Amino acid sequence: MAQHAITLTINGEWEQVVVPSQMTLLQMLREKLARTGTKNGCMAGECGACTVLLNGEPVNSCMVLAVECDGMHIVTVEGLMQDGVLDPVQHTIIEHGGVQCGFCTPGILISARALIDRNPDPSEDEIREALVGNLCRCTGYLRIVDAVKDAAALSRQAATL
Amino acid sequence: MTINAHPELPEFDYIRPATLEEASRFLSDHAGEARPLLGGTDIFVRMRDGFWHDKYLVDVKNLDGTDNLHFHPTAGLTIGAGVNMNRVMTMLEVQQYYPVLAEACRSVASYQLRTRATIVGNLCNASPAGDTIGACMLYDGVLKVHGVDGYRDEPLKTFFLGPGKTVLKPGDIATAIQLPRPPAGSTGTYIKLGRNTWSDLSIVGVTALGSREPASASGYSFHVALASVAPVPLEVPAVHSYLSENNITPEAFIEAARLAQQACNPIDDVRGSARYRKAMVKKLTEKALLITLDRLEGRE
Amino acid sequence: MTIETDISHKIPHPIGDNVPRVDAREKVIGSALFADDLQFGPGLLYARIKRSTLPHAYIKRIDTSRARQLPGVKAVVTGEDYPGLIGLYLQDRYIFCRERVRYVGDPVAGVAAISEEIAEKALDLIEVEYEPLPGVFDPEFGASPEAPVLHPDLGQYEVANFIFPEPGSNISNHFRVRKGDVEAAWVQCDAIVEHKYRSISQSDVQVIAPYVGGGFGCKAGVSMEALAVAIAWKLRGRPVKLRLTREEEFYASFVRQGVVAHFKMGCDKDGRLLAMENKFFWDGGAYTEYGVNITRAAGYSSSGPYDVPNMKTDSYCVYTNHPVGGPMRGFGMPEMHAGLEQCIDELAYAIHMDPVQFRKINCIKTGSTLITGMTMHPTGLTECLVKAAEAIGWGRKDPPSAPNKRRGKGIALMWKAPAMPPNAGSSAKVALNEDGTVTVSVGGQEIGQGSFTIAAQIAAAALGVPVETVRVASPLDTNYSPYEWQTVASRLTWSMGNAVSAAARDARQQILEMVAKAWNEKPEDLDIIDGKVISYRSEESIPLKNIVIYGISLPNNEGWVGGPVLGRGTFMPTYVTGLDAETGQGPRAVVHYTVGAQAVEVEVDTDTGKVEVIRGVAAFDVGKAINPDMVKAQMEGGFVQGLSTALFESLQLKEGILQNPSFVDYRIATSADVPHNIQAIIVETPQDDGPWGARGIGEHAMVPTIPAIANAIYDAIGIRVGAPPYTSEKVYLAMLDAGLIEE
Repeated sequence: MAQHAITLTINGEWEQVVVPSQMTLLQMLREKLARTGTKNGCMAGECGACTVLLNGEPVNSCMVLAVECDGMHIVTVEGLMQDGVLDPVQHTIIEHGGVQCGFCTPGILISARALIDRNPDPSEDEIREALVGNLCRCTGYLRIVDAVKDAAALSRQAATL
Repeated sequence: MTINAHPELPEFDYIRPATLEEASRFLSDHAGEARPLLGGTDIFVRMRDGFWHDKYLVDVKNLDGTDNLHFHPTAGLTIGAGVNMNRVMTMLEVQQYYPVLAEACRSVASYQLRTRATIVGNLCNASPAGDTIGACMLYDGVLKVHGVDGYRDEPLKTFFLGPGKTVLKPGDIATAIQLPRPPAGSTGTYIKLGRNTWSDLSIVGVTALGSREPASASGYSFHVALASVAPVPLEVPAVHSYLSENNITPEAFIEAARLAQQACNPIDDVRGSARYRKAMVKKLTEKALLITLDRLEGRE
Repeated sequence: MTIETDISHKIPHPIGDNVPRVDAREKVIGSALFADDLQFGPGLLYARIKRSTLPHAYIKRIDTSRARQLPGVKAVVTGEDYPGLIGLYLQDRYIFCRERVRYVGDPVAGVAAISEEIAEKALDLIEVEYEPLPGVFDPEFGASPEAPVLHPDLGQYEVANFIFPEPGSNISNHFRVRKGDVEAAWVQCDAIVEHKYRSISQSDVQVIAPYVGGGFGCKAGVSMEALAVAIAWKLRGRPVKLRLTREEEFYASFVRQGVVAHFKMGCDKDGRLLAMENKFFWDGGAYTEYGVNITRAAGYSSSGPYDVPNMKTDSYCVYTNHPVGGPMRGFGMPEMHAGLEQCIDELAYAIHMDPVQFRKINCIKTGSTLITGMTMHPTGLTECLVKAAEAIGWGRKDPPSAPNKRRGKGIALMWKAPAMPPNAGSSAKVALNEDGTVTVSVGGQEIGQGSFTIAAQIAAAALGVPVETVRVASPLDTNYSPYEWQTVASRLTWSMGNAVSAAARDARQQILEMVAKAWNEKPEDLDIIDGKVISYRSEESIPLKNIVIYGISLPNNEGWVGGPVLGRGTFMPTYVTGLDAETGQGPRAVVHYTVGAQAVEVEVDTDTGKVEVIRGVAAFDVGKAINPDMVKAQMEGGFVQGLSTALFESLQLKEGILQNPSFVDYRIATSADVPHNIQAIIVETPQDDGPWGARGIGEHAMVPTIPAIANAIYDAIGIRVGAPPYTSEKVYLAMLDAGLIEE
């Protein structure tokens, strides 16, 4: 079983990890580094609970090998909050009541953040389309979509300040 | 998927060669137990489900230009094997000259999966349901393949042999897909019928591409390719000949759709029955042709 | 004395307020822990389960010797190690199979090893030899004398006294209702409709984590927990983790039961329902320890929310060689209402009456005599119906958005009672802390429904403190948390809420008595408002934090009164009676019914058969909305889960083998599949024994969605499509076969 020493940043901090070839990024985060905010929902790239940012782009971390991430930058749900201040997507999802059991929430927040980063003023349909890879069983999605719309507006405001 | 999928990926060795030569040699030396790795979105699922048991995955994503995405005004578009679908569909020249490819990419799974999924991977995986394959075929795509004897070209028209089967041999690495520049003004659509609005695999997929063609009797050229209704991604030449020879009318599109229906050979599976699929090939081919014509005429 | 009104203006009463969820922050920053997030250190072992590959077979031989020799394997267990039967209402299953297997996925052996990988390898080394037996894959056939008997020992199983198995058959519960004279009533009917519905195929839920993520019922009772405990038993002192793969989750945990339902109902020409005769064959799966009670619940509620003078019901729970049926949001009600509410529409059409009007005439009202003989408590069902119909624009036909589309509206009613033993109880503790904050301890779990927030609101209101100062102790732990029957049945707001309220009132009384003694006043003249004790008589006040731990010192060094304040509260309904085994009659079958209505507008694409729900309305009588925003969130989420079940979800079983055990082919609704607008309407007819009048609203929210959509599809295209899900394919082929469209 080949082991690989890799170096990468997680939420801005450098980490050195030794991983076997077949270890996924998700497993590395959860099992090796005990960063359990990212959830394991299906291991098949379908549910989106494990979504993280890889060099700024959202990926299903169950569909990426840890070894492939050597030298890359990872952001997980734990990295959204800056200096104790919630990211707008975190703030608005609470405000809109878009959290129930909370298992899909980390992945939803990462997808939402990524959407706003690439499209600062998304329409309702664009938000819905950007979230189809994040299954939620509790909320029925409507409050999440509204929250993302508000978070985009908040993010735009913050950018112009 | 199997009923006893494993909780994690089985053991294998991850190999990152320094050059394509090295990669081809390794793959050829380990025929039957090594596989080139691009985005992995199909490989990982199949390995965890226990269908594939490769000892080595050979990462060819960052080798010798496999990361390049490039448009040349005369030569056309080159999409490196490692280029992900989101990158392709957001490239301005793709949206302008290859709009059907952009539309097909958008229909694949979810944004986060498309950060990993690649067009070349979609082609090499050779699933009859592959969403981007139809567009690549209709844009006359040619795969650039690196084998133990160096580079060669593989046109898509003769690339697919069966579900998951292609002409590629051990040691072969598809490094890029090249799409020549399409005729000026060409356009079309990809209609995907899935169970969900977005994100599903196709029950039926119809790719249509059209352009004005002064040389044909009808003054137009239309091409249609079908997904999920035959053992391989299916182009339907009969549609092209019929619509080249006959006046373009709503009736002609209905007849062309009937020809597409005749050409397909779907099966029953968990996603849909053969009966429904056949019916949908007709409906959606007609619709795709109508949309294509509207777009050609600037009505949309 | 103006102090009271002044403060009541300043301090919002937390009951009826949209208090933010108490668990939201930790869930959005990634620090909320689910079971798989807990860290156990390097001593942790991993378990995996060897499962039956056949739907029904004798086990001839199990050889675990090779697995035991694999380095890294710490324990291998089989049915031989655990001879005892387990089960909630009917003890009909072993932890690991003994003698025979009854479904594909039945646990045959368990392994614990130092890694999941090694445990998995050990499974491959376990040899199991089977002798295949004929299977039962249809509940109606399973109930017949021709079917092979899956549980020959049914007569010896321990069973709750309200469950009636028929030994020698596959019927593990037969619930009967006999009210009035159905045969005589048919003669008086001017219209009778009769239908058989395969109301729902067995469908599963997206269940994510085994702790508090995505519950919806199928984590109720004891299922995979027993496996982990049985394996850990062999490894005293070492933690063992068992996690199911997503694929396993689809067939190895509780799934919703399928049902074949026969309905016959008749009315007179004025639209008065005269009689109903229903027969349900529930697909209980291989074990029905929990499922028998779904059969019972569907039996005593089998009239739907209608006043039916003559009723005959037979509800059978039938063993099959399918995955184990069990609780899943709605507990039999979505399945039963799916067929019943379509029949109600049909009967209305049969006498040319508007379906809403027909429902107005016949729906349950305050004081109605229910089919079990129980008298209906105050209820706002008619109000729900009227408001839902109004909100959807009932009677107005809007044009479709495209020539190839047809548009329709549908409506459906529902009712559901908490299905539980008559004496399911709750308890709670309310402790005051040094800083004046309050810690509420409960045994009911936060599974996303918001129970912790409700507990905090109720404690704050009953005690008289700001809700922000109340914390709910978590994680729950049976070593410390007070008793709760189960987090099921949409019962926590009502039952646990009562216990929390009682505990808070107990604490409040202790505080008032302490202060009264110290101040030499009467407790009746004191109050607690905004975290301070005040006296209406002397207008003195003192913050709780000064007194709730250390008490109050008496003047002149005469000593102290009071001390740490700890309130306790319990609640248990004592009034639910048994029902007669032959007739289902009894004074009070259930604690109460939550009722409601849903209305939808759909568009059907005649080119593809695709059904799009473009608008939804939900109106439920929740007694009192403790937190209106969270009540609405339940209604919306439930509506979408109902929509998902109606349009997408089905476990495709072929001879007992699941064809689609993954999200690739078990589709559920995504963000792009839901309507842009779901209007949630709260109706409040107080429950006499609910906290502030509250009743539950959790499961109910998805109960009427399937028939509402089915009725809307009928309104759009004039076709009853059959069993859900109403996939594009099913709807298209139904239109084709009916001659509505041409290929």
